[in-house]
Amino acid sequence: MGDLNQLDGGFVLRWMREMAGDIHDERDFLTQLDAAIGDADHGINMDRGFAAALAKLEAEPDGPPGDLLEAVGTTLVLSVGGAAGPLYGSAIRQMGRALDGAKTFDAEALLVLLRAALDEVQRLGAAQVGDKTIVDALSPAIEAYERGLRSGDDLVGATSRAHAAAEEGMRATVPLQASKGRASYLGARSVGHQDPGATSTTMFFAALERTAAWEAGP
Amino acid sequence: MIQSVRRAASILRELGSGQPRLGITELADRLGLAKATVYGLIRALEEDELVERDAETGKYRLGPALLQLGNAFLDGHELRARSLLWADSLATRTSEAVRVGVPNRWNILIVHHVFRPDNSVQILEVGAAIPWHASALGKATAAYRNEASIGELLAGPLPRLTGQTIVEPEDLRRALESIRTEGYAVEDQEAVIGEAELAAPVTDHDGYAVGAIGVVGPVERLLPEGMVREDVLAAVKEVARGLSRDLGGVRRFANHR
Repeated sequence: MGDLNQLDGGFVLRWMREMAGDIHDERDFLTQLDAAIGDADHGINMDRGFAAALAKLEAEPDGPPGDLLEAVGTTLVLSVGGAAGPLYGSAIRQMGRALDGAKTFDAEALLVLLRAALDEVQRLGAAQVGDKTIVDALSPAIEAYERGLRSGDDLVGATSRAHAAAEEGMRATVPLQASKGRASYLGARSVGHQDPGATSTTMFFAALERTAAWEAGP
Repeated sequence: MIQSVRRAASILRELGSGQPRLGITELADRLGLAKATVYGLIRALEEDELVERDAETGKYRLGPALLQLGNAFLDGHELRARSLLWADSLATRTSEAVRVGVPNRWNILIVHHVFRPDNSVQILEVGAAIPWHASALGKATAAYRNEASIGELLAGPLPRLTGQTIVEPEDLRRALESIRTEGYAVEDQEAVIGEAELAAPVTDHDGYAVGAIGVVGPVERLLPEGMVREDVLAAVKEVARGLSRDLGGVRRFANHR
């Protein structure tokens, strides 16, 4: 447990531990989603990548939070194939860079980090909401997080809203026809399937919500 | 008569558009037609096995005759028929996936796909239509077409599929010039993030492209440190030359330009 206004490397470590655990548990589910519309490797790739990233953090857990995020991002880029490695890796690396060496950060700073992640994903993928990608969960989650902060939520409340909004965005991908990624040129077969990228992004926010709740204590 | 054919075609397209089973009422609503009209058309399509009725739900889906027609379409492509053995050997030699494409309006249509020989789960992309400018196959083919066709392509839709897709006509024109100089095309994550493709044109006796063959795979393997893998490129160019030679021998049939 710690101070919600002074989130440090330990917060990042816990967040990534939660994320890696969830991804591992849901590996087959993610792969199954991807098999319907992509290359059937999302779960396997994400599991391998987050396991490698977590191992790196556990071995050197003491840096400032930005360094830890950058290490996670770099590991993901290097160890994850497909589109997920470059997207998640670069986005998390940009979150780390946005911290600019700070020893701690607060809920407002987290909003800046999340926006940096979205900017990077959109720079790489040129995707908008409705294209059936990570952005469909990421963008509404960040908006909800900001609304939470503006209406007086603390970190726990705001991350909880973010998770709910990501989940809603994720579910909204089901009826869509993908207009980015491999699924976009394989015809209509993506319709009726939930987007695997939006699903893993929702898990990213679920992990964040749990980490914030733990940080706040009982 | 013509109207009925059009309506029947729109029923088939609707059934092929993602929701695999539709009832008469749903179809009538979607197409803005009377239920009786849809019913008559569906019965005719069903007789020819172009659609079939799902026994459990009573709804209609695409029929088995379409697979035969699809295969007949693929078999009709001289390039595909000629490429089967070449594509297998290219995949074995490079340990990567191989695709063969032919131009189809604004897209490159994948008519043959050999999986990466590593036993991983992959998705068959035969039938996929990739915007030409976002694909090495498409760019290699476009570069070896006549000036009028190139002009049409550059004036057509150029959607952005990733942040790396080249969407400015002038940039594309320069890319096509360099493809003509080098004899091959590179695609660096322009269609799918993380994926690259090296392709070379398959040309007929006049030197115009009837399509292209290429190797597609992870960007870190095909473009390590941003540089083209020379061994893969040499194999692609060699196979494309062999295929072009094969097609030149049957020039009477190579008529897909």
